[in-house]
Amino acid sequence: MRILLVEDDRRIGSAVRDHIAADGHAVDWAETLEQARAFAKVASYGLVLLDLQLPDGQGVGHLRDMRARADRTPVIIVTARDQITDRIAGLNAGADDYLVKPFDLGELSARIHAVGRRAGAIGPDLAVKIGPVELLAAERIAKLNGATVELTAREWAVLDALTSRPGAVVSKSTIEDALYEFGAEIESNAVEVYVSRLRKKLGPEAIATLRGLGYRLAT
Amino acid sequence: MRAKPSSMTRRLIVGLTVATMLFWIAAVAAGALVMRGEFDEVFDSALQQTSDRLMPLLVEDLMSQTSDGGPRQTLASSAGSESYLTYQLRDQSGQVLVHSHDAPAEPFDVPLQAGYFTTPNHRVLTTESVSGSLFLQVADPLFHRREAMAETAAALFLPLVPLVPLSVLAIWWIVRRTLAPLDRFREAISTRDGGNLAPVALAGLPAELRDMESSVDRLLDRLRAALESEREFAANSAHELRTPIAGALAQTQRLVRELSEGPVKTRAREVEASLANLSRLTEKLLQMARADSGIGMSDVEADLVPIIKLVVEEFQRMRAYVGRLQFDAPKGLSMMRRIDVDAFGIVLRNLIENALFHGAEETPVIVALSEAGVITVANGGQVIPAEQLTDLVKRFRRGRTGAAGSGLGLAIAISFVKTMDGTIEFRSPATGRVDGFEVAIRLPSASDTRASPIGDRP
Repeated sequence: MRILLVEDDRRIGSAVRDHIAADGHAVDWAETLEQARAFAKVASYGLVLLDLQLPDGQGVGHLRDMRARADRTPVIIVTARDQITDRIAGLNAGADDYLVKPFDLGELSARIHAVGRRAGAIGPDLAVKIGPVELLAAERIAKLNGATVELTAREWAVLDALTSRPGAVVSKSTIEDALYEFGAEIESNAVEVYVSRLRKKLGPEAIATLRGLGYRLAT
Repeated sequence: MRAKPSSMTRRLIVGLTVATMLFWIAAVAAGALVMRGEFDEVFDSALQQTSDRLMPLLVEDLMSQTSDGGPRQTLASSAGSESYLTYQLRDQSGQVLVHSHDAPAEPFDVPLQAGYFTTPNHRVLTTESVSGSLFLQVADPLFHRREAMAETAAALFLPLVPLVPLSVLAIWWIVRRTLAPLDRFREAISTRDGGNLAPVALAGLPAELRDMESSVDRLLDRLRAALESEREFAANSAHELRTPIAGALAQTQRLVRELSEGPVKTRAREVEASLANLSRLTEKLLQMARADSGIGMSDVEADLVPIIKLVVEEFQRMRAYVGRLQFDAPKGLSMMRRIDVDAFGIVLRNLIENALFHGAEETPVIVALSEAGVITVANGGQVIPAEQLTDLVKRFRRGRTGAAGSGLGLAIAISFVKTMDGTIEFRSPATGRVDGFEVAIRLPSASDTRASPIGDRP
């Protein structure tokens, strides 16, 4: 999933970016609202992590603007403001969740997963069974014929994108969005490379290619 | 025990009535004294005129008569009638030569000397004639004067009898009417709870109270501003403290994940744990400071049920507590209170956190609301003896659970509930169970009379 992180504190921002990237998500980090707006114009995000007090304005205002534009991208507010009134204001503005700093990075991962799952950006937690392959996305466990298979974060990102809409065709660009943030070096055949690796690990029948349309998880 | 304060209205009514009565009595008494002087002058003048008229008549009559050696009674009036004045004509030796019919034959007990004299029963005027050889003494009985004086005094005092109750009523009415704005002012202030800081704004106050009202409103304004800045400060300082701690914690957690197992990773984990503790303690101390500043009430009424749901759902979403927290409330229940919702949120979070932290993991924590407006947070676990319950509510005191709490949670909840004029009760075992611990909070509704502060503490 591609995530937009809006955070002006460099220490928090860099740690969060690295952490969710390690979880297999593509992250774009905006340090101001203006930057966040610019990013949102050119990319489609599966989720936004939004700080409230930013140098050029309040995150709640930005969130309201998003909802006023009918932008339904899931938003988790990540803030140091812990008052009930702040939470109510955030949730009323359209936030999907609210996490107070300081937080555990593991907790952040869980919230991203829960909100992403609710929004359909991440597949269900239920075990997905494709022939001999068993996927437990929440636990990041993949098994082939009962034996655990190690998958990288990027490989899981591709699987997340495919399991988010079971049976549906997922375009190559959607998978690219889920894999790479801005500025990352994207090889033109990156998606094919990861799909190929996954086929090697999980079997050639696990992912089907629909030429000119995209990819689909085998059923 | 403090004595009941005296009523200004009562003091004014009693004071004014007594003062008015005393002035009236003094005025009537002074009038009576003046009247007595005037009466004396009038009676003395009558004595003088009588004496002036009698003297020539008696002298002439005496000259034309031959003496038979005894006093003669002359100018007898009709028998049985009583004269106001009596007289005696006496010679130089004091012998009574002539006297009026109701005058005694014995000489008056006054000296033979011109002038007025007063005996116990008479006022006597002595005049002399025929070169000091004859003395006429005209006597006026004093009871006439006393009677006149008594009648006059009664005429002056009697109107006071109906006037006293009328005056009391008039004074009572005037005082009550004059002090009515003061009563309204007092009512407007005394019926407020701690959270109502709106201006008094009463129409039609007299000039004296208007100044007082302006001063009270200015004070309320300053208090409101001070509380607002206190709230702002609490929120901002929390924000300013949390951000660097969050940065340090997040970086340390990344470090822990990026390091390979070994002594450096173990050290990094120690740093992470310390930062997590520092974060918890900072939050608790900020909450305690806020609780101590007394911000618990609000002038805006809010429904606490959605707030409770919000806090409960937040805990339910935390991966450490998934499935451990239950919420139980009658359908459609609302709980309108003039409570600062942020302060209430802190209370509830502390109680739930306390229950999740220290309660037995295998039993759920139950947050429940009753129709009677009681909020309870109950957890499983060993029964806590009564003496330990008392200790638990003290600051920095932890129960024997092995969980690493700050020891401030319950103390923060108590402090806040106190500022909300509510009550908080600790029970172990929890209601309807043989084990566990339960906290019950009751917060006064807007229609309640002021509840007694913190009660039923173990």
